[in-house]
Amino acid sequence: MNTSLLNPFNITYPTAVQASLPSQCALARFDRSGRFVAAGRSDGSAAIWDLETRAAVRWLEGHVKGITSVDWSRNSRFVLTSSKDWNVIMWDMASDIDPPQRKTTIRFDASVSSASFHPRNSQIILALLQSGDAYLVDLRKRYRGRVELEDLQDDSDEESGTSPRSAMTVAQFDPTGRHIFVGTSTGSILVFNTRTKTMVARHKIPGAGIMKGFDFAKSGRRLVTNSSDRTLRQFTLPIYPSPNADGEYTEQELEPTHKFSDPINRIAWHAMSFSPDGEWLAGGAADPASHKIYIWDIANDGQLASTLDGGREPLIHVHWHPSKPSIVSTTNHGNILIWHCPSPERWGAFAGGFEEVDENVEYGEREDEFDIEDENVLAERKMKQEEEEVDILTGNDAEEVVEHPRVNGDEEDIAWADDEADEDVRGWKMKIVMEDELDMI
Amino acid sequence: MSHSTATLNYKPQLILSGHKKSISSVKFSPDGNLLASAAADKLIKIWDAMTGDIVQTLSGHSEGISDIAWSAHNDCIASASDDKTVRIWSLDDTSVRILRGHTNFVFCVNYNPRSNLLVSGGFDETVRVWDVARGKSLKVLPAHSDPVTAVSFSHDGTLIVSCAMDGLIRIWDADSGQCLKTLVDDDNPMCSHVSFSPNSRYVLASTQDSTIRLWNYQTSRCVKTYTGHTNRTYSLVAAFSTAGGQYIVSGSEDAKIYIWDLQSRRIAQILEGHKDVVLAIDTHPTRKLIASASMEKDLTIRLWSEE
Repeated sequence: MNTSLLNPFNITYPTAVQASLPSQCALARFDRSGRFVAAGRSDGSAAIWDLETRAAVRWLEGHVKGITSVDWSRNSRFVLTSSKDWNVIMWDMASDIDPPQRKTTIRFDASVSSASFHPRNSQIILALLQSGDAYLVDLRKRYRGRVELEDLQDDSDEESGTSPRSAMTVAQFDPTGRHIFVGTSTGSILVFNTRTKTMVARHKIPGAGIMKGFDFAKSGRRLVTNSSDRTLRQFTLPIYPSPNADGEYTEQELEPTHKFSDPINRIAWHAMSFSPDGEWLAGGAADPASHKIYIWDIANDGQLASTLDGGREPLIHVHWHPSKPSIVSTTNHGNILIWHCPSPERWGAFAGGFEEVDENVEYGEREDEFDIEDENVLAERKMKQEEEEVDILTGNDAEEVVEHPRVNGDEEDIAWADDEADEDVRGWKMKIVMEDELDMI
Repeated sequence: MSHSTATLNYKPQLILSGHKKSISSVKFSPDGNLLASAAADKLIKIWDAMTGDIVQTLSGHSEGISDIAWSAHNDCIASASDDKTVRIWSLDDTSVRILRGHTNFVFCVNYNPRSNLLVSGGFDETVRVWDVARGKSLKVLPAHSDPVTAVSFSHDGTLIVSCAMDGLIRIWDADSGQCLKTLVDDDNPMCSHVSFSPNSRYVLASTQDSTIRLWNYQTSRCVKTYTGHTNRTYSLVAAFSTAGGQYIVSGSEDAKIYIWDLQSRRIAQILEGHKDVVLAIDTHPTRKLIASASMEKDLTIRLWSEE
């Protein structure tokens, strides 16, 4: 609601730190409403921060070793944490108690590097292990199971026996959930169909080195990769065919539309995140002595627009707000920085009927402006104006609609994902747990 | 679309007595099952909205109470008192949290839709935003130059509207605390009450020139005017009624309750029965039910039904 009263020209990228939350957290992610941040710590605990009160409202105590990733279900009811203690835990924010109840614990036989929810159904979970294997875990009754994603490497390539098995180093759903994108230690991107768990494409990215991270623009058509050659690459993704029975896949080299790097300092990147409209890209620099976020203007040929300086505490992670020019970044000192785009105070708003102007304006007097009118005529005109109907009920709350990007020919995949819908329904409410030390009556 | 001013037929249904001094506020719970009332006798009473039975009495304030508000989860009530505190009463375990900070009488209070924030205003001329979970003050807005008489959030929690005896209605950005707009009428009458429409595109403001106005705050234009009642002295409450038709309901200093058709602005019904100024009214969230409460010479809460 407030956007219509705020200056619409402000909506670009954040420029200043609005708040610093001391949390001992290494990584932090917004939920899809942008009201909460889930933050994971290296001691194994995680916290849910309410950005309106800037306070931790839930503590997730369950892991015994460092948290490696956090993810939110689409309506923010469930939070997924993965840890070096070999476990993935799904937490239910609708439980009335703090710490909240666990919905499920999924145990693996190695340290878990990341875990994420399917964008349409939180009972489908993708997990990547430190050992370089990725698993799709389905918790639904009908599909219950755990499937390893297999890289269909042509055996003929390995005749020499010198090429080592490439390990999976990144695994993420695309925004539609139809495909899983996996990055490997040999600089390839593998694309799997989520429903059939079969590989549909392989993209070799020459010169990339080890894949370190992915981020998708909201539409799902653009992907940016982070890799060990200290370069972020943006790709426009092709349309992938539905998997065929023969298990064939397309082998295709992708040419990046943009490459982002720091040519002077050769800085590596810890993380990157698209703005909600996909027009900006934020890159978190792996600089050991400063906290720097690079902002590139993708609409403007990928030019560097700004470098945000967050002080001396080195950066670990960045994530862009789902709808606002706001970023959350974490420091290795354990602080969460919330970045915003400050709007200048408009003192004119304090005076009713006044308008603030930037420069002097010659006032154009209306012909009848100072005519003395009959009061009855005035009253009558006002009555006429008030005849106009008003709508006090319906609004235009675009933000309430969770939209899923769609591609052609994915009906079967969507039906599969929507089968046995989860309990992550819109309109659930998080109970406000009042801290102890209540005053007695 | 024609809005025929169908005459309403609200009838008295229940009379609840119990308060010993003027009743300042009545509020239906969001689920519509309970009715809470607060009075100058320092008590909050909770009634069954269907049967009128008393469910609970909350005591603790050391001075009279001016306003109460329900949390969205139906489990807490916040109250604003002349003892300069806001209190949050948990109905599940009868614990209470005291929010201290106002330096004079607290006159009005409301939750945001998620109920993690409270906003209050008072005779210290400030509007304060509170963190419910921690009981801490988050923001103090030097909002007005006279006592603040009403304050509330928009339905999405991003805006706050406040009004005061200085005659100004101000709209604030809830996140930054910046003033975004000021609405003022030519004659600058004292403001009794203000609230957002259900979709938050308009604000409904009662002023002590016996007028209620519906403002389009985007264009700063008054789009509807409702008159006929008397409001010269007290901070009377006006409310939207959206259960079966759209109406505006307000108490009056002539001891009556006025109901106007929202669009035509014609009086649809006048409810008579109270014997003193009707300070507080509220409309049921889903049913055609109105609660009203009156001052010293009466001290009753009445429920009116059109079913």
